[in-house]
Amino acid sequence: MTALHISHVSKSFPGVKALNDVSMTMQPGSIHALLGENGAGKSTLIKIVTGIYQPDSGTVSMDGKPVRFANLRQAAAGGLGVVHQERNLVTRFSVGENILLDRLGRNALSRVDYASLHREAEKWLKLLDLDVDPRTIVSRLSVAQMQLVEIGKALSLQSRVLLLDEPTASLTPNESTVLFRILRRLRDDGVAIGFVSHKLEEVFDICDRVTVLRDGQNACDSADLSTLNRGDVVQMMIGRAERITKRAPRVRPDAAPYLELKGYASGLGHRDIDLAVRPGEILGLYGLVGAGRSELAKAILGLSKQLAGEVRVEGQPVQIASVADALHRHGIGYVSEDRKAEGLILMHSVLANGGITIWRRLANAMGFLRDSTINAGVGPVLRRLELKTPSVYQTIGNLSGGNQQKVSVAKWIAAGVKLLIIDEPSVGIDIKTKAYLHDLIHELAAQGTAVLLITSDMPEMVDVADRILVMDGYRIKGAVENDRNYDAVSRRIMGFIHAQAA
Amino acid sequence: MGDQRDSRLTQTFDNDWIGPGIVSLAAIVGISLFQPAFLSSFNIFVLLSAISVNMVIALGQLVIIGLGQMNLALGSIGGLVAISFVGVMEKFGLPVPLALAFALGIGIAAGMASGYIIARTMISAFIITLAGLQIFKGINLGITEAQPFYGVPETVKAFGNGSVFGPIPWLLVPMVIASLGMWVLFNRLRIGRHILAMGSNPHAAEMSGIDPKATIIWAHAISGLLAALAGVMLAAKLQIGQPTIGDDWLISSFAAPVIGGALLSGGRVSVAGTFFGVVIIAIITQGLVMFNIDPFVVQIVLGGLILWAVGINRLREVRIARVQARRGAA
Repeated sequence: MTALHISHVSKSFPGVKALNDVSMTMQPGSIHALLGENGAGKSTLIKIVTGIYQPDSGTVSMDGKPVRFANLRQAAAGGLGVVHQERNLVTRFSVGENILLDRLGRNALSRVDYASLHREAEKWLKLLDLDVDPRTIVSRLSVAQMQLVEIGKALSLQSRVLLLDEPTASLTPNESTVLFRILRRLRDDGVAIGFVSHKLEEVFDICDRVTVLRDGQNACDSADLSTLNRGDVVQMMIGRAERITKRAPRVRPDAAPYLELKGYASGLGHRDIDLAVRPGEILGLYGLVGAGRSELAKAILGLSKQLAGEVRVEGQPVQIASVADALHRHGIGYVSEDRKAEGLILMHSVLANGGITIWRRLANAMGFLRDSTINAGVGPVLRRLELKTPSVYQTIGNLSGGNQQKVSVAKWIAAGVKLLIIDEPSVGIDIKTKAYLHDLIHELAAQGTAVLLITSDMPEMVDVADRILVMDGYRIKGAVENDRNYDAVSRRIMGFIHAQAA
Repeated sequence: MGDQRDSRLTQTFDNDWIGPGIVSLAAIVGISLFQPAFLSSFNIFVLLSAISVNMVIALGQLVIIGLGQMNLALGSIGGLVAISFVGVMEKFGLPVPLALAFALGIGIAAGMASGYIIARTMISAFIITLAGLQIFKGINLGITEAQPFYGVPETVKAFGNGSVFGPIPWLLVPMVIASLGMWVLFNRLRIGRHILAMGSNPHAAEMSGIDPKATIIWAHAISGLLAALAGVMLAAKLQIGQPTIGDDWLISSFAAPVIGGALLSGGRVSVAGTFFGVVIIAIITQGLVMFNIDPFVVQIVLGGLILWAVGINRLREVRIARVQARRGAA
């Protein structure tokens, strides 16, 4: 008996055929990977299954019976639980209340029975080996615990089918391991689990079936994963074999550091930070989630008070007061990990987003800005980055994640920064764009830009960085020269992190 | 276990009403030291009457603040209800209970109408209730032609101006009932929890299977009901169906909840804090009058008070963020 059967589903939006005759079959007691690059149609498919979109043709059935949910609530009632990529918890409420938020009472004026609510929630927390009191306020939990609470929420609906959209995106490797143990147990209990991820290592670790989408079509339909290897899957995703980048070790420039921190302490909690990045150098900053890397970037940009130590730009001691100061006086740019919240203004055009850093420079004597002037400044960079957009006046929110990321890098290149801090450049980016961004970072460095790269993606770090600083608990734990020998380098990095834990 | 009790203790002192409560107390003590007449039975009666009406008004705004929205039409609903309440008694001779039911019904209907349009169109509540403000006020003026209704029965006048005993006005009774009701709503009823969930994180609430439309309509209906109750109370207190009732509710309806620790972005409200917010505003208004200080100073002080309150809220948020960052680092 199939738990969830998607049969020949098609869906069009004005101008785009998002899904074309897509099928997928999920069995109870199986973990089924749903893979595809950004824009391949994964989200559309999930939205059709959960009733947010209705298919143009084709059917979805559960346990052999056709279903057509009108909304998420109906889907949940029908035994389909979804854990979305973004956190969907009310952080001011307790864990238990979050798990049972839609079942607080029979009608609007029903009294909430907290005692039995927390008893009920406890059951699901136990099932997930989550040792927290259901009365705990969610904002006190770690990101991983929140993730598990969301899974508990989906399970508490007696879901027989559980869809997880990038559940490990914000988890550390250890936390992922815990999550996988629980997923395996749920699988053994007969739950059908759908697993969307960009991390192929994870997919091969815990999935047994795989469906790959490419350009809205099945590249494969519910294949047995054990018959495939990594290369096969990548081939299906991008239509060609993955370019295994084995870059030659680069010559490290021996120029004087562009930015140097000595014994630096920030108001965010950083202590004793020593760091130097030279023009043309790519300095990696590795650490687990919560190590304080993005926070360090923000402190450098002047978003936190400097409590101790020294900051030097081109050898001169400086005080960076604000992001504007960092950009206009010291030539430091920051590509945020949170593209949607900090990187781009989604409602504005490509041109407005790309030109935002140089408005000040481009304004004419009267203070007026003209589109043509901005286009002259930003256009060449966008063309160089092979940005795919119908026009520079397109609203940037309508572009794919990869193309958005290109614009968020482009605006700093257009500004001609001397130091670019790039934070998690490939979160939510497909493999093709990711490789492209890596090339771009190298190209920038070759032209003399100093790059500070922050990433939790170990292969990316080893592929791109020249030298890697390991961070944990808001301190630098050690430095590793990157000879691009993946096993040795990653082992040394993890050594620094675990030495602290012991 | 010790840890848990510890956090409960800090929670108590972290409560939103502690600060405004202490300020209220200090203001009462301070003013009465200089003006013993401040604590006279008559003055307390006047203060409590004002506090009672203003608290119900503030609760009407509080429920919408909890949702993360605003209700600019609160006062115009109250005004429309007040003239309707007195009007149907004067023109049609409706008995008081029927007139009351009719008046409260108008408030609920007006609130539901705003709520329905907001939920249906998802246009910001600011705009919809701004339009509502004009429409309800227009209906009010169309009916009254800017002339008050005078036909307030003696029983109603007595309710608006009499005392249960000593300095305790009858108006306190509906206020206490409304306050307790709202406390239960926010802390114990499904709809109240859903309103706060929507206010904290609308996306999460929707993704959790909460019906956002129904929640919005409920909240505005409750707000309309409270506006109506305040309108009736004020008509009883003034002994007249005055068309201008509600015109001056807006500022204090936001000021009291904010002084009481509510976040305008939604999801966090305190009924007790709002009460002390109302008390502070009443005491300062009254106190400054007793010291013969110009009324414009009262406005400046009130403005300063709002700034102080949002400043405190902001400080608390920053502190929480810092603690979380530190926990992340540990």
